[in-house]
Amino acid sequence: MPRASSRKGPTNSTASGNSSAVDLFRAASGKAASKELERIDQLFYSYSSNSCGMIDPEGIESLCSDLEVDHTDVRILMLAWKMQAEKQGYFTLDEWRSGLKGLRVDTTLKLKKALPDLEKEVRRPPNFANFYSFAFRYCLTEEKQKTVDIESICILLDLILGSVFRPQVDLLTQYLKIQSDYKVINMDQWMGFYRFCNEISFPDLSNYDPDLAWPLILDNFVDWLRSDRA
Amino acid sequence: MSSGHKKRNFQIEAFKHKVVVDPKYAEKTWKILEHAIHEIYNHNASGLSFEELYRVCPWRFILEELNTKWSDHNKALQMIRDILMYMDRTFIPSTRKTPVHELGLNLWRDNVIHSDKIQTRLLNTVLELILRERTGEVINRGLMRNIIKMLMDLGPLVYQDDFEKPFLEVSADFYRAESQEFIECSDCGDYLKKAERRLNEEIERVSHYLDAKSEAKITNVVEKEMVANHMLRLVHMENSGLVKMLLDDKLEDLGRMYALFKRVPIGLPTIRDVMTSHIRDTGKQLVTDPEKSKNPVEFVESLLDKKDKYDKVIASSFNNDKTFQNALNSSFEYFINLNPRSPEYISLFVDDKLRKGLKGVKEEEIETMLDKVMMLFRYLQEKDVFEKYYKQHLAKRLLSGKTVSDDAERSLIVKLKTECGYQFTSKLEGMFTDMKTSQDTMQGFYSAHGSDLASGPTLVVQVLTTGSWPTQSSITCNLPSEMLALCDKFRSYYLGTHTGRRLSWQTNMGTADLRATFGNGQKYELNVSTYQMCVLMLFNNADCLSYREIEQATEIISSDLKRCLQSLACVKGKNVLRKEPMSKDIGEDDVFSVNDKFTSKLRKVKIGTVAAQKETEPEKQETRQRVEEDRKPQIEAAVVRIMKARRVLDHNNIIAEVTKQLQSRFLANPSEIKKRIESLIERDFLERDNVDRRLYRYLA
Repeated sequence: MPRASSRKGPTNSTASGNSSAVDLFRAASGKAASKELERIDQLFYSYSSNSCGMIDPEGIESLCSDLEVDHTDVRILMLAWKMQAEKQGYFTLDEWRSGLKGLRVDTTLKLKKALPDLEKEVRRPPNFANFYSFAFRYCLTEEKQKTVDIESICILLDLILGSVFRPQVDLLTQYLKIQSDYKVINMDQWMGFYRFCNEISFPDLSNYDPDLAWPLILDNFVDWLRSDRA
Repeated sequence: MSSGHKKRNFQIEAFKHKVVVDPKYAEKTWKILEHAIHEIYNHNASGLSFEELYRVCPWRFILEELNTKWSDHNKALQMIRDILMYMDRTFIPSTRKTPVHELGLNLWRDNVIHSDKIQTRLLNTVLELILRERTGEVINRGLMRNIIKMLMDLGPLVYQDDFEKPFLEVSADFYRAESQEFIECSDCGDYLKKAERRLNEEIERVSHYLDAKSEAKITNVVEKEMVANHMLRLVHMENSGLVKMLLDDKLEDLGRMYALFKRVPIGLPTIRDVMTSHIRDTGKQLVTDPEKSKNPVEFVESLLDKKDKYDKVIASSFNNDKTFQNALNSSFEYFINLNPRSPEYISLFVDDKLRKGLKGVKEEEIETMLDKVMMLFRYLQEKDVFEKYYKQHLAKRLLSGKTVSDDAERSLIVKLKTECGYQFTSKLEGMFTDMKTSQDTMQGFYSAHGSDLASGPTLVVQVLTTGSWPTQSSITCNLPSEMLALCDKFRSYYLGTHTGRRLSWQTNMGTADLRATFGNGQKYELNVSTYQMCVLMLFNNADCLSYREIEQATEIISSDLKRCLQSLACVKGKNVLRKEPMSKDIGEDDVFSVNDKFTSKLRKVKIGTVAAQKETEPEKQETRQRVEEDRKPQIEAAVVRIMKARRVLDHNNIIAEVTKQLQSRFLANPSEIKKRIESLIERDFLERDNVDRRLYRYLA
């Protein structure tokens, strides 16, 4: 992405001055780009299913095995984020193109090598919040669905926050499984979990104030933590 | 004197001239004056010898002596001033010398009052006399007044330094010791009486012979030594303190305590705090006493008695003090809400009164009773719960025709409306309208069908508007064929006059009067519920029916059927059915038959009471749940109303505003409000601010 925009910048500003050189440059880079695009498309078709014109769960499974990562690996979710994939388990051609172009890869091997950088990119704070909320939306598979069941939420928490907030995630998932007030989690609560991990000093919870606008489920969680310890 | 006047007339020249002519003139004049002054004293105050005063006079005469001499001195002083009037008027002001009279007083002060032989003796004597008066002796108050007046005439400083200050100090010592002694041997009431008496004595003393300005000072001393210093001990005295006085309605003692404590700092708050915690404690005991909870009417009556008691105490002993009234109100609010069933019980109390308790009671008394109920109602935090129960109980009263006074019913509804607004009572009023409309409908029905219905049973239908009545959606049971035909006739009549309506039979709410003939030929009139009628009618065609057969024939749901059979077969004196096996509870394998040996003293037998009773535990929970459900939209509506007006608001403020808005109906639980907010966020009415997470934004 950064490279793409820096290339575009000078093109626009010098358009009237040195037109021939620019045209040449544009033509050359355009040619390279279209070649790249072609390879990206080819790669897409090697995984997509003919029946739906998308990479379906089966295709993703084989992509994963080519990349030698598990399909439940967080990096696949990150890849979906990079593609801004709409529907869980499916990549459309447009998503695939924008994702791979963004990563500047056009082969499976390059994609595999790009994964560590992708992870670094996602972990950068502003991206991460975006990725975190994307992960929730990605789980909403039905029309008008607004909530995700507790079980999936626990897996998701573990996957996304587990490496950074291990103790919080362990206790939170433990609590979510034993409580009976909520069967599903909504976006607001999901974002609350992230804020909680980021802002609340753990394990002493000294700066948790239930009178603030925390979702009730976190009030309950904190009550549970405090009573569990006492 | 006359020459002086002349001198004044041609002042300057004559004066100079005379000084020159006769240098001894002044001396001569003075000699004359000196002689005159001596004469005045000799004449008026023969033998004024202070020496004598110091030595001979026993203490009790010193005041008399002093008083006589003082009055002589005053007379003399008067005359001297007259003689020297010219000097006093011209020479003294221009040379800024002390005027004659003042000089005389100063001389008296310095030479007599402040002489070391008199000063202490005078003070001690005065104080001694006051002490004697305090211990009950009669003293010469006139003399005291004169002496004190003398001190006052000598100037405020003399009065203060030579009398008032030591007087206050001695008084403080006196009352400190006395109060210590009193408090060891008196109970609170007696002590307060003594303190009050002492205070009045001191006020009286001031009025008789002290400077009026001393009153505040000396009462202050008594207040401090006798009241302020012992306040806590007095209030908390076991068996006689404030609590005991409240328990025993010692209105006079309480009034005395109020009046005395009012005079000292934090006196009234002390009484108020103890009273408050006493009311709270006893109130808490009352509402949490399981014995009291058994009888809702008694429960409410004891609340009313308690309120009456304290209203009386505050009115007659505590001067109707607003802060005490507030304390009383907040205490009631505190403990009434400790028992979650208070709303139900208050409604049951009204139910009891409006059913039977008002017969033969005057209209004003009814109003008074209703006003008292309203007062308790005001204390309730969960007014919506009261409304739920009130509606249920009112429905039963109306449907069973048991309400004693329509006026009283309506009066209470008007009161509720005034208190809580139109919304609160609109459904209750709808119920009354339905009752009236039903009467008209039945008249119409019988005038249309009267001729062909004469032989059959009589049907009375009450058409209840859905939503106005606390109807549960219940399954209609199978009615006996005779009734069913009649009901169908009514249905077609009703739907014929009111198009577009739907009727469903609430068989769980009706009653029936049956004429029954038992085996021995005895005839009775049975007043039963619709369910019971359905069951009993089955026995017209069968001698013996099993539980299952009855259930199948009537299709009454089992919990209702069991209750209905229990009241038909298991209540002594009302057991028109016989059950095999004989037991208290209804089993699914039981078999029923008509009890041929049924007898009753009364020809009319009322079976199964429809009177409102305390709810059972599951019923209570169900009502609770309905209340909670009803609250959700109200909370959400409040949140949306507030957010619509404010657009952006932080969490704490929104909780506070919602609570305030809903206060007149119920006390909203903050976590419930939070839940509603979260639900509104989920439904995109609100969102959290991206930066400041305490803020909510309204999404239009």
